[in-house]
Amino acid sequence: MRLTLHAVPEVPLEAEAICPDMLMGLSADKAAELPVFHGNEKARLGDFFSVQGEARDGTVTVEGDLSKVKLIGNGMSTGRLRIEGDVGAHLGAEMRGGEIVVTGNAGDWVGREMSGGRITIRGDAGHMVGCAVRGVPVGMLGGEIIVHGNAGNEVGHGMRRGLIAIGGDSGDFTGVSMKAGTVVVMGRLGMRPGAGMVRGTLISTQPAELLPTFNYDTTYRPPIIRTILIYLRKLGFTVEDLYLNGPYQRWSGDSIELNKGEILLYAGTRQ
Amino acid sequence: MSEAKTIHNAVCTFCGCVCDDIELVVAPEGKSITRAGNACELGRAWFLEHRIEDYPVALVDGKEAGLEEAVDAAARILVEARFPAVYGLSDTTCEAQKEAVAIADFVNGNIDTTTSVCHGPSGMAFQGTGESTASLGEIKNRADFILYWGGNPVEAHPRHFERYSAKAKAAYLPGGRADRTIAMVDVRKTRSASEADIFLQVRPGSDFEVLWALRALVRGKYVDDSIEARTGISLETLQDLVERMKNCQFGVIFFGMGLSMTRGRHFNVSALLALATDLNAFTHFVANPVRGHGNVTGADNVVSWQTGYPFGVNFNRGYPRFNPGEFTTVDVLARGDADALLVIASDPAANFPRRAIEHLKTIPVITLDPKPTRTSQLARVAFTVAAYGINVPGTVYRMDNVALPLRPAFDSPYPCDEEILRAIKERVCELKGIGRREVA
Amino acid sequence: MGSELKIINGRVYDPINDIDGEIRDVCIRDGKIVESVADDAKVIDAAGKVVMPGGVDMHCHIAGHKVNLARKFQPEDHRHDVQPRVGALRSGTGGTVPSTFTTGYRYATLGYTTAMEAAVPPMGARHTLEELHDTPVVDKGFYLLLANNVCLNQLLEQGRHAEFRDAVAWWLNKSKAYAIKLVNPGGDEPWKGRKNSNVHDLDQPISGFDLTPRKIIKALIDVSNDLGLPHPAHIHCNNLGHSGNYATTLETMKTADGRRAHITHIQFHSYGGEVGKNPTSAARQIVDYINEHPNISADVGQVMFGKATIMTADAPLTWLLRNMSKDKWINADTECESGCGIIPFSYQEHVYTHAIQWAIGLELFLLSKDPWRMVLSTDHPNGGSFENYPRLIRLLMDKPFRDEQAKRANPKAIANTSLLDIDREFTMREIVIVTRAGPARLLGLENKGHLGVGADADITIYDEMEDKEAMFNAARYVIKGGELFIDNHEFRFDHEGSVYHVSPSYNPEIERVLKPFFEDYYSVQFENYPVSDHYIARGVTVPTGQSQP
Repeated sequence: MRLTLHAVPEVPLEAEAICPDMLMGLSADKAAELPVFHGNEKARLGDFFSVQGEARDGTVTVEGDLSKVKLIGNGMSTGRLRIEGDVGAHLGAEMRGGEIVVTGNAGDWVGREMSGGRITIRGDAGHMVGCAVRGVPVGMLGGEIIVHGNAGNEVGHGMRRGLIAIGGDSGDFTGVSMKAGTVVVMGRLGMRPGAGMVRGTLISTQPAELLPTFNYDTTYRPPIIRTILIYLRKLGFTVEDLYLNGPYQRWSGDSIELNKGEILLYAGTRQ
Repeated sequence: MSEAKTIHNAVCTFCGCVCDDIELVVAPEGKSITRAGNACELGRAWFLEHRIEDYPVALVDGKEAGLEEAVDAAARILVEARFPAVYGLSDTTCEAQKEAVAIADFVNGNIDTTTSVCHGPSGMAFQGTGESTASLGEIKNRADFILYWGGNPVEAHPRHFERYSAKAKAAYLPGGRADRTIAMVDVRKTRSASEADIFLQVRPGSDFEVLWALRALVRGKYVDDSIEARTGISLETLQDLVERMKNCQFGVIFFGMGLSMTRGRHFNVSALLALATDLNAFTHFVANPVRGHGNVTGADNVVSWQTGYPFGVNFNRGYPRFNPGEFTTVDVLARGDADALLVIASDPAANFPRRAIEHLKTIPVITLDPKPTRTSQLARVAFTVAAYGINVPGTVYRMDNVALPLRPAFDSPYPCDEEILRAIKERVCELKGIGRREVA
Repeated sequence: MGSELKIINGRVYDPINDIDGEIRDVCIRDGKIVESVADDAKVIDAAGKVVMPGGVDMHCHIAGHKVNLARKFQPEDHRHDVQPRVGALRSGTGGTVPSTFTTGYRYATLGYTTAMEAAVPPMGARHTLEELHDTPVVDKGFYLLLANNVCLNQLLEQGRHAEFRDAVAWWLNKSKAYAIKLVNPGGDEPWKGRKNSNVHDLDQPISGFDLTPRKIIKALIDVSNDLGLPHPAHIHCNNLGHSGNYATTLETMKTADGRRAHITHIQFHSYGGEVGKNPTSAARQIVDYINEHPNISADVGQVMFGKATIMTADAPLTWLLRNMSKDKWINADTECESGCGIIPFSYQEHVYTHAIQWAIGLELFLLSKDPWRMVLSTDHPNGGSFENYPRLIRLLMDKPFRDEQAKRANPKAIANTSLLDIDREFTMREIVIVTRAGPARLLGLENKGHLGVGADADITIYDEMEDKEAMFNAARYVIKGGELFIDNHEFRFDHEGSVYHVSPSYNPEIERVLKPFFEDYYSVQFENYPVSDHYIARGVTVPTGQSQP
């Protein structure tokens, strides 16, 4: 099935309907009838998108400037969603399975409270990738979020399981209050990475300034990094060989919490 | 000619201190205040400079209009919008705030207050961490250790020291200032800092690191000695501060926008609230935000009890949703989401970021303000209203959530926010066919 | 012209008037129950339905500073439980601490038409009334926290009893309260002033005063009776939640010395065992005492499994719980008057303590010989939301259901109680007593909790169903003040509800004592402290009668 934006929303469009779980098995006409919210006004998916074909195998392609379209792939559990262009907030929120690929940039809250599946953003992502919502200590529960470009603040806030990889730089408080899981940032970490982390692993190939509650343990060549980076290469990341085999500084923290989290920073020579 | 009238125990709404011991003398002609006894210089200016000017009661498209016509125009703008946003509210009564929330509810719009641009991060930190707090009288009565973080009370809240904190004489601390230790943390030495016993000048942008180190020390955890190079404060100095905090009888940390609106925002406040909480393992310890506007705390309270959330609330789907960053007004404007804006007692066109103002200029705006503002000058509908606390009675909440009744000094020819908002609400309901099915 | 309404063919339960399931008519005019109405009155055919007075919740936390803190504290608790706007009925959010409008609508949905906010420091009265104004449908009122009041304590320790009495009456008047509330008497001073310590014995001196908790309790029980308040002193005993605290509870009840006193959420105060160890059940000891002492009444404060919010003026308790959960915590001190603690909480079936709390609550209901004096509450939202009441009613009425639920709970805990040995099932009449007639009578609300001529026309009509939880979950009709708020499961009219308060007389000279105290201790002006009538849109001043024996 192919959805093509024909009318640009004037105010945010909340379109949970754009999700393979909702679209699978529907004819184009039926799909166009699905409800969306244009600001406070109830509308039809067809008011904004022309719908072609069916999503028999759960594959849906959406094209156009979707930067005002929110909640695409909300609660998605299966299928493939390909977005050709930029996309708005809450992409793949509470996603449980399947795959989302965005060729452009994504807004804030990508994969909020996600528990399974994979989201790939070829461009940049906004703030709070794979995060918790306000008031809740636990964020992402599983799955993978792969951002080829940069990401904003609070990447992986409260993360409990899963993988987040950022090809470029990340913003402030990357991996804040992580409970477990892995965050890889190929570029620079913003300020105060891993603040309040309990367990989990934060990896960066660039130097970083760490909080005074992180303590240096050792410099070593952890084999797990090679495994992770080769995996990311397969997903399309550019990973230079020198990062595969270390050496990496290992810092533990956050001492305010259990001190069982680790931040691994590349410590070898650069080309 | 009539006598000069005196209002005893009037309530000053200039700042969040909401001092309620002001003695106002009203000029015999009943149109201005000639004396504001007990008020600070800011409060005096607030009362004495207030004049009833000759502005039209309402402007529609820049032309003078009757109230009914303007109310109708405002209601139509809000009803026709798909993402109408209501904003401001921190300088008006709770009675008016309630009407504003009702309007947002009935037009399925968005509501947010100036909290989102001052202590919104504190609200978010509170939701994550909780807080130990106290009414200001408890601090006055008992706090023998007072720490100010990122605020300058001497200049911004001139009576805070004398009425509620550093210099207050109280039953349990009869010596007042002599019975208390005052510490100050800031990036520069302000006039407040020079009155403190202890001053820690932190490098700009390192509040979080200092707070984080203090938390670790309170918990007896590792702190790297690079802290001094990073923050400008030595480990020994921090350790000394921690010992004082742990050993006081009743400690308090007051924090200002120097903490909540600098880099790290809600994490800065969260660290501070967690520090105060941690200290309760040793002694009684509280933390209080120092709020700016006279009734910003009331706005937090009203929006919370009516919707469940303190600010940044959206009714697009027919029920309240909360998400700072998504439904906060700066973001809603900067992203170009809102297609109409109702502003009560605030001037976003003067103080919002450029991108937000640019969008604001492209959408219909309605304003309620006692005086012309940058925002009212570009409004489609602009109401002139009476000033709360000077002309209008009602309820306001002090920065510590204590509700106080206003004692207005003299009447204004202009209607108050509450009246106009109620009229807009009723017109909105008529236009939308919402029956007012009330028995009582 | 007033509206008239006639309910016909319904099975009516009205224990105050000795009507127990008879099919009969109920007539309503101008918001009151009357003998008869005109032939053209609107008729509700209640055939196959049960008709009873509207529910009366005598102990819940629904309005004021601490409630609002708990509300904005937990966005996560609201977001999956929304209340959409229906016409002019306002939207809101639910969870364990719903927004104000939602609180009113949901109480009404369950058939409750009266709810009393149970703990307000006088400084918070204005705020509480603002929220109660926005809590629709239900009639309401609040209890005033006076057991940690520095000024009153000073009068008491100096033996100035007449002034103490006048000061209490002044405070009730100036804050528009309904009754006197005691929470952890004497515990605030050590908490705030002595590095977070607490009192643990009724005869332990309170730091800073020549006073003990027992003296405060006695004085406030006496003054409640002497002023002839419609509801006696409403007491949250010391040592809430601690193993072995039943002894403190018994001592508190003995302190009443034959005078009326109400012990609230008594489940939390009925634990045996040793301090710091797992609790055992002391429900039997507590119930035995109450069965034999008609001057004492109680509400249970049942714990229900699932999400709750602990919010209490007993701040040290929440600090204790916080140190177990390490979850987010609020402490909020009110100068000279109160403390406050809030934490999110979840009662879990497999946890020994939670399971025994659940079982002890049920024991208290089932062992009590007098349902008029052991009434229903969950101490909303402390033991669980008021939205659990239908389930709680089923637990009381349905032994097989109760036993099945007990089997899912921690077996060691259940075995440490007599729950499985109790066969009693509450009758419909007894349910009406513990949810309506009993609380109304204990509150001294003469026009509530019954359907006799002259009573307020607050009436609920449920479909008669085997599953009592389903039955009580949604009333088919709810009549508030004679108007149909819920008509065949649909909201019809908005209704504001009334605020009930008392106004006992006092010697105005007492202000000469109080004003200097305010100047020394308070941060607000004495003149700005009293709450004006402006904050009560519809008020009912309940007369304070003669001094009670």
